[in-house]
This record gives sequence, structure tokens and C-alpha cells, in this order.
Amino acid sequence: MITCRRVRRRLSAYMDGDLEARSAHLVAAHLDACPECGARWRSLRAAVEMLAEAPRLECRERISSRVRDRLDVEIRSAGLALVLRPTWKARPLILPSLVPAAAVLFVALGVAFTLDRDPEPLPTVATRGAESWGPTGASGTESNPVFVSSEVSAPRVRTAAPIGDLVTALGDEPIFLETVVARDGSVSTVTLLGGDSQQAGPLLEALRHERFEPGRRHGRPVAVSLYRLISRTDVHAPVT
Amino acid sequence: MSKGAGTGEIAMAAREFALRSAEALAGVNSFEGGLVEQCRRGDAQAFARLVALHEGMVFNLAARLLGDPEEARDVAQEVFLQVYRTLGRFEGRSSLKTWIYRIVVNQSRNRRRWWRRRRKDRSFPLDALTPSDEARLAERAPGPEGPQERLERRERARAVQSALLRLSFEHRAVLLLREVEGLSCEEIAGALSLPAGTVKSRLSRAREALRRALADREEVR
Repeated sequence: MITCRRVRRRLSAYMDGDLEARSAHLVAAHLDACPECGARWRSLRAAVEMLAEAPRLECRERISSRVRDRLDVEIRSAGLALVLRPTWKARPLILPSLVPAAAVLFVALGVAFTLDRDPEPLPTVATRGAESWGPTGASGTESNPVFVSSEVSAPRVRTAAPIGDLVTALGDEPIFLETVVARDGSVSTVTLLGGDSQQAGPLLEALRHERFEPGRRHGRPVAVSLYRLISRTDVHAPVT
Repeated sequence: MSKGAGTGEIAMAAREFALRSAEALAGVNSFEGGLVEQCRRGDAQAFARLVALHEGMVFNLAARLLGDPEEARDVAQEVFLQVYRTLGRFEGRSSLKTWIYRIVVNQSRNRRRWWRRRRKDRSFPLDALTPSDEARLAERAPGPEGPQERLERRERARAVQSALLRLSFEHRAVLLLREVEGLSCEEIAGALSLPAGTVKSRLSRAREALRRALADREEVR
């Protein structure tokens, strides 16, 4: 005895003649005896026959002529294609090998650009003349002045600049500046290091006309850098 | 005595038929092998013969798989271009025809995926046969037929294609290779790169799915 479920699962194999003789006999007997399975079998066979008998579809245009045209184009262009063939087709490993090379080159260039970049400019409070950053000369010259020390005597003002009014005109903010007194006693440069450059402008101009007894080191005149803080200070008499 | 002579004649005739069949098969294989060899040597005429021999089968299978004659025509062209480019890799372990079937199914599957990816908002454009194809079918009816028969035949063709398109692509492929192209389960297994057992179970499910899809037809009830 075979169940309907088992028969229905074997209908496809039965159709193809794939069942063993005994099994095929059991299925055939069941299909004769069971109206539902018999109907299912006839229905399955009819559906498959409908498909098998369906007329073939034919292209209205010859495929071969389309293929021939495409191949003609490919073959005709083959000569040019060989000339223009990308190198990577001829040497398929060249592209993969270029990747690490490109990475190394990229890193090297990155490092080089980083190192070559100008250092970040320090925050400046001074407007210093470009000539101040020129090549430095020997110690004690105008381009490389020295500071007052135990070996270097301080320059003494010989002709003071009339700066009284200019100082009065300053605001409350003090002016910090550098004066380089040249070896001949003249003022080489006056550089504003701190303070309002607009307000200090006339004062700096006046200070450039000062004249000094130059500073000396071992008896010889040297260029000396002086730092000066100028501020308007109200002095009151002490309360007694 | 006469019976024995008759049996002997039948046996001889059967042997002769078997020998002729074997010779015919060997002849086909030899012809196919020669054609492939000529194509490999770059013989354009040989390749044209190869295309002419198989183009009907390739187009029909692609059109049934895709349901769109335009798409099928493009796929058929791509199939033969692929055959041309990869013929050097054909090892002859299966027949040339089975090898081409494999390419048709793969190309059609790829085309269908491509379509789905790019036109997600639309279903695959396949409700079967365009009027031009139907007219083409009607012209090729076997023997004389009246207007009523022609109408019924066209209607059956439309119903079959419509039912096919309601099946999954894999069910459609296995059904077409088996019922329309007449491949054995082993050949289908070779063409689809599947175990034969998988082909048989898939074929069983596909036949049942087709039966259900055609269940409203009088012939199938």
C-alpha cells in the first residue's frame, strides 16, 4: 500500500521512467485506483505537454548577422587595439605592484612637504624691519648688536630727542622698543616690540634722531641693543 | 521456422539500426569536434556555421527564460560572442550544445539581475509574446489551420509563456532544458553545474509549479 502523498512526490520520477519496476507498478496501480491522484497525474502530464508542444520562438532578425558584424568590428580594430592595448593587459601584475609603490611615494612626498613647510610664525608683538632678519654680522656690529653687560658699557645719550610731548600724547598703554646704537653713536634701528604702532609712530621717528656716546667692549665701540619701556606715568607727591 | 527467421531479421535490423545510430552519433560528434577545431583556428566561415546551427535554440531558450524578444536577441548575441572568445577553453567534456546551454542560462540570469537592479520600480517586462512574435508563430503552424485553430494555438502559446513567467528563474530554466530542449537530467546537471539529484528534485517542483500555474486551463484541469 502506498499513500497519496508518496505517490504525488514520485509523479515526476514516474513521468521520466526513473522509478524501479516495483515502485513504478505501485504508483501505476494507485493512480488507477485513486481518482484524485489520477486527476493530478493527468493534470501534470497535460501541463508538461503544453510546454513541450509550445511553438519555438524565432527571432525576426538573423542573430548570426549581428554576431558577424560585432566580430568584424572587433577584428578590424584588433590591429589598432594591439597598439593601444593598455600596458596592464600585457603585464597584468604591473598594476598590483604599482599600488605599494604609489603608497610609498605618497608617504615620502607627504613627509617632505611637512618638513619643508615654513614654521608657524611666532606671534609677534613687534613690527620689525625686514633688514633685521638679514644675515648676521660679527658680534658688536649693527646687524648683530650686543647687550649691555659687565664687558659692554652702556651707550650714553649725547643728544636727547625732544619726546616730551610725544610721550604725553601716548595713551595709557606703555611702549616697549629696541634701539640699536651704532658704533658711531647714531641710532641704527628703532623697533617697536610692544604697544600701539600708530600712536608710537612719531615717537619712534623722533628716537631715530638721537645721538649717543657708543657703548664699548674692551675699549672699542660696539653696536649695542637697548630695550626701553616708555610710558606716561603720572607722579603724585606723597601724601604727608 | 518462419517465426525464427522473422525474429532473426528483427534482431539483425535492430543491430543495424543501433550501428547506424552509433555511426550517426559519432558523425555528429566528429562534425562538432571538427567545427570547434576550425573555429579555434580562426575560421570565420566555421564560426558562422556554428552560429547558424545553434542560433534558433539559443534565441528560443533566452526568449522563454526572459520573456522579452528584444532582451533575448541581445543575450543571444552576447552568448555567441562569449562562445567565440572562450572556445579555446572548451574542453569537450560535455557536448558543444550543452556548453552553449550553460552560457545561455548564465547570460540570461545575469541580464535579469541587471534589469532588476536598474529598474526596481518596474517588474520584468515580460508578459509573454509581442504581437510580432505571435504573428511569427502563426506563420509557422504545422499544416493548414483555420482561423479558430490559429487563435487557439496563439492563446495556448500565450498561456504557457505567462505560466512560465510565474515560476522562479531556476524552475523555468530546468523545465525548459528538460521539456523543450529535451536534455537528460545528467546533461542539465552539467549545464547548470548542479548535482543530478538536485536537478531531479528541482524538476519535480518546477513541474508541479507549472501545473498550478496552468490549473485554470481546461486541458490541465
